[in-house]
Amino acid sequence: MFACEKSINGETDVLTLSRVTRRYGANTALDGVDLVVPDNTYMALLGASGAGKTTLLRLIAGFEEPDQGEIAIHGERIDGQPPHLRDIGFVFQNFALFPHLTVAQNVEFGLRHRARAPITDDAEIRARAEAALELVGLAGFGHRGVGAISGGQRQRVALARTLVCEPRIVLLDEPLGALDANLRARMCDELRAIRERLKVSFLHVTGSETEALTMGDEVAVLAGGRIVQSDAPEMLFTAPRNAAAARHLNAWNIFPAGLCAGGAAQGEIAVRFDQIDVSPPGAVPDGRPHLAAQYLTGEFNGPTALSFFRAEDGTLLQVVDHLSTPRLPELTEGARYDLHFAPDAARQFHGAA
Amino acid sequence: MTALSTETPSRPAAAASPAALRARKDRNRALALLSPGLIWMALFMVLPMCMVVYVSFWTQTTFSVEPSLTTASWQRFLGSSTYLAAIGTTLRIWAIVLVATVAIGYPVALFIGLFVRNKTVQTALLVACVIPFWTSFLIRVIAWRPMLGTEGAINMILMKLGIISHPLEFLLFSEFSVLVGMTQIYCVFMVGPITFMLGRIEPSVIEAARDLGASFGTIFRRIILPLSLPGVMVGAIFVSVMVLGEFATAASLSGRKVNLLGNIIVSQVGSLKWAFAAVAGVVLTVIITAVIALALRLVDLRKEM
Repeated sequence: MFACEKSINGETDVLTLSRVTRRYGANTALDGVDLVVPDNTYMALLGASGAGKTTLLRLIAGFEEPDQGEIAIHGERIDGQPPHLRDIGFVFQNFALFPHLTVAQNVEFGLRHRARAPITDDAEIRARAEAALELVGLAGFGHRGVGAISGGQRQRVALARTLVCEPRIVLLDEPLGALDANLRARMCDELRAIRERLKVSFLHVTGSETEALTMGDEVAVLAGGRIVQSDAPEMLFTAPRNAAAARHLNAWNIFPAGLCAGGAAQGEIAVRFDQIDVSPPGAVPDGRPHLAAQYLTGEFNGPTALSFFRAEDGTLLQVVDHLSTPRLPELTEGARYDLHFAPDAARQFHGAA
Repeated sequence: MTALSTETPSRPAAAASPAALRARKDRNRALALLSPGLIWMALFMVLPMCMVVYVSFWTQTTFSVEPSLTTASWQRFLGSSTYLAAIGTTLRIWAIVLVATVAIGYPVALFIGLFVRNKTVQTALLVACVIPFWTSFLIRVIAWRPMLGTEGAINMILMKLGIISHPLEFLLFSEFSVLVGMTQIYCVFMVGPITFMLGRIEPSVIEAARDLGASFGTIFRRIILPLSLPGVMVGAIFVSVMVLGEFATAASLSGRKVNLLGNIIVSQVGSLKWAFAAVAGVVLTVIITAVIALALRLVDLRKEM
C-alpha cells in the first residue's frame, strides 16, 4: 500500500536541484548546488556541520526559498510552492512529534488534516496508520503518549508519520543523530529495509562518513556550499575526485605534492590511511614515493590502530594498521620515519581545493 | 610512604546508614525552606480567613460588631436584590473581561511568542506590554476619563470626522468604561502566560505539521491552540482573581452605576459594617475558589507545565 507511483514516462530522477543558492546576509550557505536524486534510491548527503545540509533540506521541503536556482520534482518546479502542497516527507532530527497527541494521532495527522485530499473515512485512516506503525515495528503502540516512549521509538513514529502520507521523496535530517550507538546501527539496517519495501527515494543528510557510506546507494558530498562529488559509495571512497571530497571521508591523508620525494611536484596528493607504510629513515623500498615525518602518538581502536605523524610542513598524517595484519615497525614517539606508498595508491588533485 | 588502608572507618552498629542520614538531611532542608511560607500563610491568610467567616456571623449594631452569633447579616445579604444583583454584575463583568482579554491578548501573544523568534525582541516586546504598569494603577484608570468622556478624545475625533453628531454618552461612567478599563489593565496578565506557552512550542513541530500537508488554519486549530491552552488557563486564573476582587476601576470609571462585590466590601467597611463586609468577603472568596477550581479542572496544569 505504500508503493510509490512509478516514475512517469521513463523519467528516472525524482528530485533535481540546479544552481540552488541560498544566502544569509553576507554569508552564502549554498552556492550553486546541483544535485540529482534518482528514483528508488537511498541517497546520502555527507557534509561537515555548518556546511548547509539542513538548509538544503529546508529549501527542498519549502520551509525556506532559494535566492537563485530551481528545485524540481519529476521535472515539475516546486520552489515557490507553499510547503504543505509540495508532497515531500521531512523527518526532523529532533523528531518534532506533536507532544499533545498519542502515537496513533501523530501518525494519522497528515492523512486526516492535510489540505490536499484529506481522508475522511475514519476506518481507513486507522488502518493506514496501524499499517505504518507495523512497518516501523511499532504495532500496538498507537495509544501511547509520545512522551511515554523511548528515543528510538520516537524516531520510528516520526518515520511512520511521514511515510503514511506516501510522499514523493523522504528527506531525513540527521535521523540517527539523536540515537545512541547501538540503536543507530539497528536503525541503519531498518531504514534501508523500509525504503526498499516502499521504493520511494530517501535523501538522508548526515555528518558521519560511516553512516553515509553504509546507508547510501549513492553518496553526495556537500562542501563549501556545493556538491563536490556524487557517486556510489565504493567509487567515492576509493576514488574521490577532489581534495574536498577526500577530506570528508576521513580516510585520506592530503598533503602538498612538494613534500614528497619521487612523485609529482605540484597540486595536492591524497593517500589513504591504510595504504601508507612506515620505515626507518633511509630504508624506503625503491620506486615508492615517500616523505619524512615525525611520529607523534598512536591510538588503539580495537581491530585497528591509528598512528599520527607530523610532516615537515606541519601537516598531520594518519596511518591505519590492522591488528590481524600488522605492517608498521616498532615506533618511538618523537622519532623521525619515512612514510611511503605505492605510486598508484596516490591520487593527485590540481587546483584549489 | 604510608600504606593505603582499605578498611572502612569503624562505626557503631546502631548508627544510621549514610542513606538514612542523607534522607534525614534532605527532609530537614525541605522543612526549613517551607516553614517561612507556611508560617506566613497560616498567620496572614488561613487565620484571617477563619476570622472573616467567624465575623460574618457576628451581630452588627450601627457602629460596632459584637461577637454574639447570628445569621442576620447573611439573611440580609441573600435576601436583598441589590446584593444579589452585585453578584450578577461581578460575574457578568468577569466573564466579559475574561473573553475580551483572551480575544485581545491571544493574537498579541501569538505574535510575540510564535512569529518573533528572536529572544531579545521577544523580551523587549513583553517589557513594552508592561510599560503602562510604570504608572500607578489610579493614573492608568483615570487616564480613560479624558479618552472616553463626552468632551473626550474619542468623541471629539468621531464628531470631527462627522461620524456622530452628538457625543456618545455610554463611553464613560457606564459598564462599558469599566469593561474597557479592566480589559486594558488585565490584558497583559493574559499575554504573559500565553506567550510563555507559545514560545515553548518547537518551531520544527509546526514545520512538521506543515510538511504533513496542513494549512496554517489547521495547524493553529490542531497544534498551536491545544499546546497554548495551559497558558490561556493560567492567564484566565490571573485575570479572574484580579477582576473578581476589583473595586477601584468600577469606583472611578462607572460613576457609581456599577456595583461589584468589591465595591460593596469597600463601602461596608467604610461605614464600619464589619459583619456585613465579612459576608460579602466570604461570598467573593467562594466565587473565586469555584472559578479557579473550574479552571484547573479544564486543563491539567501539572501535566502541561
